[in-house]
Amino acid sequence: MSHRMPLWNAETDADDELVEVDVNLALGNYGQNGLYDDAQPRIDETTLVAAQQIMAHQAAFAQIPDGVKRFIVHFYQAITENNLPEITSAYESGWNRMTEKFYAKTEWPEAEVIAPLVNDDPIFLILYRELYYRHVYSRLSPNIDDRFHSYENSCELFNYLLNSEGPVTLELPDQWLWDIIDEFIYQFQSFCLWRSKVHQKSDEEISMLATEEGASQWSCYSVLNVLYSFIQKSKINEYLVAQKKGLSQEDINDIVGEYGSKQLYRMLGYFSVVGLLRVHVLLGDYTLALKVMENVELNQKTSFTRVTACHVATYYYVGFCYMTLKRYTDASRTFVSILNLLFRIKNYHSRSYQYDQINKTADRMYALFAICYALSPGRHDDQILNMVKERYGEQLSRMSRGEEGLQAFEELFLYACPKFITANPPPYRSLPLLAQFVNSPPPEPAQRHVQLFLSDVRNQLSVPTLRSFLKLYTSLDARKLAGFLDEEEEGMVEKMMVLKQASRSISRAGLGGTNAHQGRGAQVPAGESEGGLLDGQTISTSDLDFVINQNMVHISESTVGRRYAGWFIRNTEYAQRVYDGVKNSPLPLPRSTTAPAAPGAKDVAPAPAPEAPVKKGVAWGANVKAA
Amino acid sequence: MSATATWVSPSTRPELIDELVSGVDRYNPANGGILEDYLYHQIRSQEYDCLANLAILKLYQFNPDLYNGDVVINILIKALTAAPMPDFNLCLALLGERRPYPESDDDEPDPLPSLLPYLTALSELLHQCRFPEFWKLYKSEPLAPLRENYTIECLGFDDSVREVVVRAVRAAFTKIGKQRLSNYLDLDGEDFVSFVEDVDWSLEDDVITIPPNPDNRIEATVVHENIQFPRA
Repeated sequence: MSHRMPLWNAETDADDELVEVDVNLALGNYGQNGLYDDAQPRIDETTLVAAQQIMAHQAAFAQIPDGVKRFIVHFYQAITENNLPEITSAYESGWNRMTEKFYAKTEWPEAEVIAPLVNDDPIFLILYRELYYRHVYSRLSPNIDDRFHSYENSCELFNYLLNSEGPVTLELPDQWLWDIIDEFIYQFQSFCLWRSKVHQKSDEEISMLATEEGASQWSCYSVLNVLYSFIQKSKINEYLVAQKKGLSQEDINDIVGEYGSKQLYRMLGYFSVVGLLRVHVLLGDYTLALKVMENVELNQKTSFTRVTACHVATYYYVGFCYMTLKRYTDASRTFVSILNLLFRIKNYHSRSYQYDQINKTADRMYALFAICYALSPGRHDDQILNMVKERYGEQLSRMSRGEEGLQAFEELFLYACPKFITANPPPYRSLPLLAQFVNSPPPEPAQRHVQLFLSDVRNQLSVPTLRSFLKLYTSLDARKLAGFLDEEEEGMVEKMMVLKQASRSISRAGLGGTNAHQGRGAQVPAGESEGGLLDGQTISTSDLDFVINQNMVHISESTVGRRYAGWFIRNTEYAQRVYDGVKNSPLPLPRSTTAPAAPGAKDVAPAPAPEAPVKKGVAWGANVKAA
Repeated sequence: MSATATWVSPSTRPELIDELVSGVDRYNPANGGILEDYLYHQIRSQEYDCLANLAILKLYQFNPDLYNGDVVINILIKALTAAPMPDFNLCLALLGERRPYPESDDDEPDPLPSLLPYLTALSELLHQCRFPEFWKLYKSEPLAPLRENYTIECLGFDDSVREVVVRAVRAAFTKIGKQRLSNYLDLDGEDFVSFVEDVDWSLEDDVITIPPNPDNRIEATVVHENIQFPRA
């Protein structure tokens, strides 16, 4: 391997230098020597046992069912021909079908075993291993070798994509590209969690983790390297900026160059931005997480939202960041906008192989929404709020009860938060320090983050009680209010200041409008206004407002005029579904009487749609939300 | 201008720092010193740049060997007075990991562990608007090391705390009694009068009047639904 040039040098150099950038170069390689420096001894070892291996492979090969062999050959052909529809079908259904049938509880055959079927094609074998390890992680329990080898395989894949001469001609479906990045980060997270559990490690594992290689594998720097390399290679940020400006496809292609104009690199670049968002959240760096997203527009119109899993992940992590920034309004708007979408498309994606995963994330977002609602009740989307009350009604009522509600906050947070990780391994390289580590382990990352969150909650514990008292009056002497609440007057006045602060928030809802205070509630879908995700304007988040004149508290309340939009949207959508259902159903037999029922007059969620898939939503439905 | 513009990118931030904070250079441990120097510049000149300081903590997170307890304490002191914004907790979120074990016994002990509980308590008092208790704790005997080794170097620390008070009072009051405000600000006599004048509040008969602002002007309104249809 040639010398490692750190990016801050590379950036100033001419563009042609960049073509030679190595995966490990983009961020420099701090104290982690090459991943493959030990390749030589390994090859020698391989030679010694080569003969036995060939025989073992032959035996294993004979065990592979014919259906699987045919599938692999077919899959291989689809990939060499860049036949996207065939690749998609093999990837999304063929692989899963074969897994269910033959490999539900065991590994797929090793890549070396199936190599003869695919002409020993190195690229196909890398992709095959990608799937092989993903299966190990999701269905079985990966051992230390799996963890190391899956990392090496990912590096090989990324090296091929980033360091071939020019962009590769390979094409893969967007969904797979997302899964590659998503899985890479998942395995990183999984490794970090596994690595931190010292007491479960065997001596052999400890000695492997103590080596140079063990210490450098799955390091934060190497993971960030990969993501930043894709972002830079694809010029995705330049692409997003150009797209925002409305430039023509031709002009955009000129800007993003030979890599960025290819679908494969553009999507990998975009998914890497979302990947960075996720990695930064896992490490507790919420501002940086939102900052890397600064060129991404959060709306449902871009082509990048075609991969639902990516779309959902983006909103989950962005919403979570807002919550930790105490921007509860932005957080709930983010969750509402994606949960509404999921609700609309649930008839589609129930067939997706990722349905379960998406549903789990959605349920977490309902829980996070419940937290945000408890901290900043204001006006919210009725439909989502009703669903939250159905799922988390009990927690919602506990969370409004001051001190005793803290436990409900904690439970929901721990259930719904990302799987936080620590950036650094335990001191495997020194046994005495390791023993010290085991004796007094540092707090789990999730515990640290929940405690920080709870300190925010604790600071405004008195808010719900105070608010409910103030609702009863238009003006009131502070001393009298203190008497009601069994408090000292001074302490009560301090809590009033906290109440005031809790009813103000920085929010993106305030952007765009001229008067910040018009932006109450969820009128503009999150992300529709200009500016990065960290931007915002101070808004009032509560209908109840007050001011103190020396010792007299004056209270005013905004009331809401009757709302129609949500009701009309839901029922129009329902009518559309009924209409589509009727249109798509077979002609009725003469004696059939089962016409779909008319929508209920009440403001309730519509009944599930009929069997037929909904072909399109109401054109204007997706972007309008009840104020 | 958005309310976060100054926070995201303070006008006092030099171009070099801006490049570091916005690019991948922020991960280069060799740049730690530049960011630390910039922190000390903030300390000396009453400036504040949260994102640049978080970049230091990020470097410490990835490179525990770089860790410097004094720097962390200074970052936290700066973040303390950003209340009610979440800066202090944002810093702590990057901090919690195990610090490197001391190489030998004669290393200077890390000053952070003994001060962190007090800093956290101070932060909570500010977020809970318990200003008189804040001053009481801040001036107490156990916090002498914080005052004598750190905040004394931090230009205008007391005034930054008073700005937290001003933000809270301005939003909640139209008029406030002199004694109450004096307790909040920990000022009396001449100092109190000149502080009140500096923020353009008026003092009359032991009552301070706070000029109307978007947060202390309340009115009952009826909110109507406002639906915008996107045009194709």
